[in-house]
Amino acid sequence: MTIHDHIDEFLAADLHSELSDEERNALHTHLVECADCRQAHQETKAMNKVLNEKFENEKPNLAFENRMLAHFRNRAPERARVFSQFPFNLLYSRATQLAGVAALLLALVQVGRIITGEHFLGNRYDSSPVSLEQSVRPMSMNERREEADLAKRDEVRAKDIRNRALKATGDSTVATPPPPVAATGGSARAEVAPEFHEEKAAPGRNIPAEGVAQNPVDTFRRDEVSSTAAEAPATGNPALANQKLIRNATVDLEIVSFDQAIQKITAFAAEEKGYVATTNSEKQENGKLKGQIVVKVLPENLDRFLQKIRGLGELKNQTLGTEDITKSYFDTEARLKNARVMEQRLIEMLKKKSEDINDLLQVEKELGRVREQIEQMQGELKFWDSQVQFATVTISLAEKDLEEAAKYLLKERAQLAIYTPEVEKIYNDLKSLASPKVQITNAQLDRDNSGRVSARVSMLIAPEESDGMIAKAKAMGRVENFQTQTERVAQGGEGMSENANTKRDKVELNITISRDEQEQAFQQTTLRIRTSTVDERAKKLRELAEKQSGRVRSSSFSRDPEGREFASVAVRVPMKNYNALMQSFDSLGKVEDVSVQRLDRTGQVDEANAPADLQIQVYSQGNIVSSDTGLIATLRRTIAQSAAAIMWSLRMIGVAIAFLAPWIAAIVVIVWIVRRIRSRRS
Amino acid sequence: MMDANEREVYRAAIHGDREAFEMIIRTYSRPLFAITYGILQNREEAEDAVQDTLVKAWKSRWRVRDPEKFPAWLCMIARHCARDVFRKRRPISVAEIPEANAPETSDSSGLDRQLHSALASLPELHRAALSLRYFEEMDYATIENRLGLSNGSLRGILGRALASMRKQLKPALASKQS
Repeated sequence: MTIHDHIDEFLAADLHSELSDEERNALHTHLVECADCRQAHQETKAMNKVLNEKFENEKPNLAFENRMLAHFRNRAPERARVFSQFPFNLLYSRATQLAGVAALLLALVQVGRIITGEHFLGNRYDSSPVSLEQSVRPMSMNERREEADLAKRDEVRAKDIRNRALKATGDSTVATPPPPVAATGGSARAEVAPEFHEEKAAPGRNIPAEGVAQNPVDTFRRDEVSSTAAEAPATGNPALANQKLIRNATVDLEIVSFDQAIQKITAFAAEEKGYVATTNSEKQENGKLKGQIVVKVLPENLDRFLQKIRGLGELKNQTLGTEDITKSYFDTEARLKNARVMEQRLIEMLKKKSEDINDLLQVEKELGRVREQIEQMQGELKFWDSQVQFATVTISLAEKDLEEAAKYLLKERAQLAIYTPEVEKIYNDLKSLASPKVQITNAQLDRDNSGRVSARVSMLIAPEESDGMIAKAKAMGRVENFQTQTERVAQGGEGMSENANTKRDKVELNITISRDEQEQAFQQTTLRIRTSTVDERAKKLRELAEKQSGRVRSSSFSRDPEGREFASVAVRVPMKNYNALMQSFDSLGKVEDVSVQRLDRTGQVDEANAPADLQIQVYSQGNIVSSDTGLIATLRRTIAQSAAAIMWSLRMIGVAIAFLAPWIAAIVVIVWIVRRIRSRRS
Repeated sequence: MMDANEREVYRAAIHGDREAFEMIIRTYSRPLFAITYGILQNREEAEDAVQDTLVKAWKSRWRVRDPEKFPAWLCMIARHCARDVFRKRRPISVAEIPEANAPETSDSSGLDRQLHSALASLPELHRAALSLRYFEEMDYATIENRLGLSNGSLRGILGRALASMRKQLKPALASKQS
């Protein structure tokens, strides 16, 4: 750095005495040497002087500081020290600032929660429905206490009533009408009420349906019942002899002779002071009997009776059941008594009050109902008595070998496929064979769009005619796939039987007739022949095939871009000429890739005439170099690929720009804003 | 750099000690005036700006973390305030000042006017630096500190300011010297 270049700085610093001694010396030596800088020095000095004067004039006067102070005091008046200083001190501690930020965040979160309607008080109130209700429906403290008091009082009262009711009727059957208190509302009181109902319902269970109050008459009747029902347990309560038990048993037996067994059972029943109630029997197709016999014996003799019966045959199954009807029996009895008392009263009523016709009618109606009930209950009791008096034994009897077959039927089914050049002729021939012993059940001839014909004939043949008929059908064409199936069907039973006779049933014959082209080839051969003159060789091939009485089924010719030619020929020949044809191919060219597939079918009758298919491909070698290879092709491909690559990379660049552009724009905007803010500050 | 006593005063002021702050007002109102005057070139406005500065500083004193930086911060506020005042008056001054000054033709006032316009043509920072130097005769290091400049850059600033003024005032100076 030379002084000359920075003369301005040096001059200024010199005048402001900010130069070090060394620098000052250097400056002065330069000033001696350089006229320009001397000039500048002079001017700068003058400038300095002017400036000094100017600023000296403008200097604020002595009172300036005081003025400032006064003004400051005026504009920022002193507040009470504690209040002014304390918050500032707080503001200086990091902890306060952090706490402030945290509080702000929390406040934001809470505001968010309130806006989104989330509850942040937890589930404290959700546990009990009552308090939830309280929180939903605001209630003053007094109101709530009142409510609770009411509830308590109600509970006490309910308990009282319940106790009294229990005392009054003993603890068996109660049907006091529900206290009116329970019916009146109030959320807390409602809680007591159901409990009470339940308590009441439990002892009332012994009284069936009638217990439910529905109309005034009913209520009145129920009172009757409850008053008398209390006596029931006294009489009904258990001495064991009085137990009412219904015993019954079922026995399954396999016996040799049904009639004998019945006789013996009747004898046993008489021994045990019982009787045979019902018998029934059924004769099976194979002459065996099975049946059921119901015996009544005294309950105490039941076990002995069963023991005896078991000796009759093989025991298959036995069940023994006891039903205790004591309770329902005595309930019904009690109800019967009640109903009788009721009946009596109604009759009295009928006698006394004869003024109001409506009342009379009502009483009459009620009387009818009660009597009907009495009869019903009486019937029930009688039925139970009979059931209890005798035990019921149901014996199912079946003779041995019940399932044996009565006779057998031999069912024969035959299937036949015929291939022939003239489908329709054979079809008509077959139909003309029909006679009383040969019945055609189904005949059908199909001809489709492509001229293919097939026919199907089903017939039923009497057994004695069947063999001759099948032979006739076989003679009609080339038979393929002959199948017979015989089935022995047991009738009136199942399994084996030594003495059942066997009968031959009608024979069912299904014949399918199709043209011989449709026949599947017995043997399939594919081979390739390589030659240089495809067209000519293919023609020769056809001639050869025809000579061996073969038929050309399809042929095709094609040439590919590389100059190769292909001719495909499909030929069908009878099996007997197959070998000769194969040998003649050698004259055509080189035979390659021979593969033979043989279908050995069962029921093949005529192998020599069975068709053999040959699929022959004649082909030439073609050009050695195809148009798809070689220098020009390579060049072309290379250029095409590189063009494609360039296009691809262009596209990728476009994608990259599309991805980056928004980011770049955002960054640029941010940088611009930051710069602006900075420049404004400085 | 700064003695412990001075530093204690700043700290107390930051924490709201009014006496300490008044003490600072006493010592700093002149340098602050120098800065605002340098920018505004008008005494009344400059005084107003200083007053604004002091009140503003008192109100936002808690923003200063480091007592060492208190003076520089004070000067920064002064510059901002001065700039605010400058912006507000601009539309009036541009129209009026030339006309008001035009009739005065005396020699000294001519020089004064030229000086005024030469000063006005300087960048704001240069003017602030100049006035600090000429009002307060502060040394370069202190000025650099107050204006937030890097070490040694003031020499270039003042050199350039003086040179540019001297070139503008060359004829007037010459006549004065002669």
